[in-house]
This record gives sequence, structure tokens and C-alpha cells, in this order.
Amino acid sequence: MLELQGVTKRFGETTAVDGVSLTCGRGELVGIIGRSGAGKSTLLRMINRLSEPDAGRILWEGRDVTGLRNGELRAWRRSCAMIFQQFNLCPRLDVITNVLVGVVAERPLAPTLFKIFPAADRAKAIVELDNLDMAHTALQRAGTLSGGQQQRVAIARAMLQDPDLLLADEPVASLDPVNAEVVMEALQQVCRQRNVPVLVNLHSLDIARTYCTRVIAMAKGAIVFDGPPQGLTPAVLERVYGARAGRTLEPVVVGEAA
Amino acid sequence: MSSAMERALDVAPKAVRPSLRARAIPPLAVVAGLAALFAMGADLGLSPGALAAGAGKLGRFLATMLPPSDGGDPMRIVRALGETFAMAFAGTVLAALAALPLGVVGAKSVVAQPALHFGFRRALDIFRGVPALVWALIFVAAFGLGPFGGVLALAIADVPGLAKLYAEAIENADEKPIEGLRAAGAAPPVMLRYGLLPQVAPVMASQTLFYLESNFRHAAVLGIVGAGGIGFELEERIRVFAFNEVAFIVILYVACVAALDLVSQRVRARLA
Repeated sequence: MLELQGVTKRFGETTAVDGVSLTCGRGELVGIIGRSGAGKSTLLRMINRLSEPDAGRILWEGRDVTGLRNGELRAWRRSCAMIFQQFNLCPRLDVITNVLVGVVAERPLAPTLFKIFPAADRAKAIVELDNLDMAHTALQRAGTLSGGQQQRVAIARAMLQDPDLLLADEPVASLDPVNAEVVMEALQQVCRQRNVPVLVNLHSLDIARTYCTRVIAMAKGAIVFDGPPQGLTPAVLERVYGARAGRTLEPVVVGEAA
Repeated sequence: MSSAMERALDVAPKAVRPSLRARAIPPLAVVAGLAALFAMGADLGLSPGALAAGAGKLGRFLATMLPPSDGGDPMRIVRALGETFAMAFAGTVLAALAALPLGVVGAKSVVAQPALHFGFRRALDIFRGVPALVWALIFVAAFGLGPFGGVLALAIADVPGLAKLYAEAIENADEKPIEGLRAAGAAPPVMLRYGLLPQVAPVMASQTLFYLESNFRHAAVLGIVGAGGIGFELEERIRVFAFNEVAFIVILYVACVAALDLVSQRVRARLA
């Protein structure tokens, strides 16, 4: 179980994340929604320690991960895989090497620096790629793939990390609707099959409603809603997106609820 | 006045009617530039008469160049060309080896200390102002005639420029792949090997090749001050007015430079 206790992050004068507390159990697919700048990205980045919280604690299965250093920190980062909006692959490396990055945290340094991986790891990488229909691209440079394909490679990399927790920061914001569906279905499958918590930042309410078992809405760094997607009433959306969004979104909400 | 005009004038008046000043500046700049050009030409004594007088002499030199002659020992010239290429190659390799650590230290993203970074870059700029020819004069005086001084001169002259380009290659690298590696738990050396190196290596290789091209072109000048190679051969023949042999060397040299440029450009295009 993932537990956040009063997690806070400040950038100069602004408080990006303001005392956020939440718990998230296995098998939950949590969509985090909110306007740009509401603190969604910062929240996810603090969980796998790409960003350091200024206050509060983050616990995984009761263990505080906010103080981890060096080897322990790298092990933690490996166990909570992150998927990014811009995929964050190495475009000049081939696809399989990008996927194998998922195991570098536990591999000895010297062979890794020469891009040498055991055949068993390479086989695992290919299986993960094949699960996403991407095995045929294994020896292609990642930079030559389309956005949707690159995001699938990034998911395969995350799977090779054998994660206890999956974080996805706007994973479909740069993708067309079809690819967005493919990627969201992949995340859903990971959530169910591996029985791990999945936290996804989203800016599309439709996607949040379709795939998430639970939605957390943030505004100005704080949680303003936490519940099932059905609970996203016009009044809630007005609090999340401001008065204007609440008004314009209302008919859509009604239409979808019907 | 039409409503579109009224509204546009209301929202962005300067975009509808650019000010007189904004419109007057380009033609005034052209006039000022031409005036400066003529003033400088007069200062340097660039007159049609001087051109005509020199052109006659130039024509006589050109006539003595024909037909080009190998002077009876073409292999000597080929060897000298080889020596010049070797000088350019050795100078470039030495410069690249020295510039690599300097470039890493000079990258803003590596040394996040603005004052240090500024000082380091200005120091490189100062050294970049010293041309290879000056270094060659110094090194030939110190180490004697021959390619050794030439190689050192090329190497030293290239280091600041290459270091600056390497530093910029590192600064321009996309940080997203590196963040992807950090998020997967990669150790710092792995982040550099997988995230940074594949991005910067082709850029650096391409810039180094460009320096090799330019060094091969410039190495002839170094020979003239006594630093060996094809320039040395050229200088000897110019001194005795053997312009037919000069022509032979120049033609061969130009062909070699063109061939190297062609190969290097192909390789660089593939790297990019």
C-alpha cells in the first residue's frame, strides 16, 4: 500500500503541492485530474523521488521512502516505474536497449556500460514488447517510432522494472485517440494482472471516467475530491477547474451519465 | 472608417500602421552601410588604378604557371601532402583529446556555478582569438623547423573552439532521456552512458571531422612559416619564382582538400 502523509513541495513563493495525504491500495487505478499547475506532476515525481518533498512522508508498505539514498533510492525508483508524457526514451538507442534500461538498477555497472545484458533479460524484454505488439521493432532506433509506439516501448521498459507501483504522468496527452486507448488499456491490464496500484495524471475527464476505479482531483496543490468517477458532479468539477469549466462541462457530464 | 479598421486600431494600432521610424530604419541602414564601405575603401587605397596595375603583374605570374610542372619529383610532393594530412590529423586528435574534458567542465549543465562557467568560457574565448599561425611561429621558434611545431600549433589553436562546441553539444542535449533513466533507478554513470553519450557523440564526432577538414586546409599556411608539409614545398618554389611547380602543387592540394571535404561531409551527414 502506498501512503502519503502531508506531502508538501514549494518552488520559491508558490506551493506546488500543499499537504497532500492519501492512501492507495493494490489493484487501484487512480486517475489524478486538475488544471495545469495544480501539482499533479510534482506529486507523482515526489513519489519516485525525481523531486524531493519539502515536508511530509511517503510510505510504501509501511516503510518511509522519503529518506532513501544511493543504492536504496535506486532500488525504490526501480520498484515504482514511471511513464512520461514525452516517453523519455533514448532516441538513438534501439528499442530493446531502451526496454533493458528497466533492469539496469540491479545489474553490475561494468557490463551495463558496454550494453551487455544476459540473454534471459533480453528474452524478458522481448516478451514484454511482444505483449504490446512491439517485438518486431526490437532492433529499430527508438527515435524512429511514432509517439504511440514509443509510449508502448516505455511501458515495456516499466514492466521490465517488475514494479510494485506504476506512475504515469500524462501518458496519453501527446497521443492520438486510438493510441491513447491502447496505452490506457495496457495500464489497466498491468493494474489488474500484476495487482499493483497505478497512479495516472490525466487531463481528459472522459479517459478518467472510462478507465479509472478512483479519481483524485487537485486544485492549487491540494486534493479537492477523492472518490469514484461517478462522484465527479458539476459542482465538483467547478471546484477543480473553476467556475467557467464547471458551466461548460455540465452538459457533457449529464450526457455521459445518461 | 470600416468597423474592422476601427477594431484593429483599437486592439493593435502599431500592427495596422507601423511607425515612421520603424519604416525608415532599413533604408537608412543601407545608405549608412554603403557610405562606410566607400570610406573604408578610400582609407585602404582601393582605387581602380591600383587594381589595373596589379592585374598586369598577376597576369604574367599566371602565364608562368602554365603548363604546371611536377619539377621532376612528383613523389616528393605527394609525400609532403601526406605529411600535411598527418599534421592535420595528429593536431585534430590531440585537440579533441584535450577539448573533451574541458568541454565537459565548460558545460553549464555539468558545472552549475555561473561565475566559474562565465570565467571558463571567457578564458576559452581569449585563447580562441590566437590564430594557429601565431602558435606556429612560436612553436617553430621553440622546437625548430618541421612538422612537430605545426602539429602542436594546430592542436593548441583548436582546443578552445572544440571545447566550446563540445560544451554546447552537452548543454543542448535533451534531458528527458536522462530523466527516464533516473526514474528507472539507473546509477549516474549509466545515465551518462545511455542518456547523454548517444546524443552528444555524433555531434562531437561531426564537429571534430569539420575541424580535421579545416586543419588540412590551414596546414599549408603553417608550412610556409617552417612547420613542414606541403606549405614548406610551396614556400620554397614561390621564393625561386617556380610558378609552374607552384601551380602543380596547388592543383594537387585543392583536389585533396576537395576529396577530404567530400568524404567528411558524407560521414557527417550520416552521423547527424
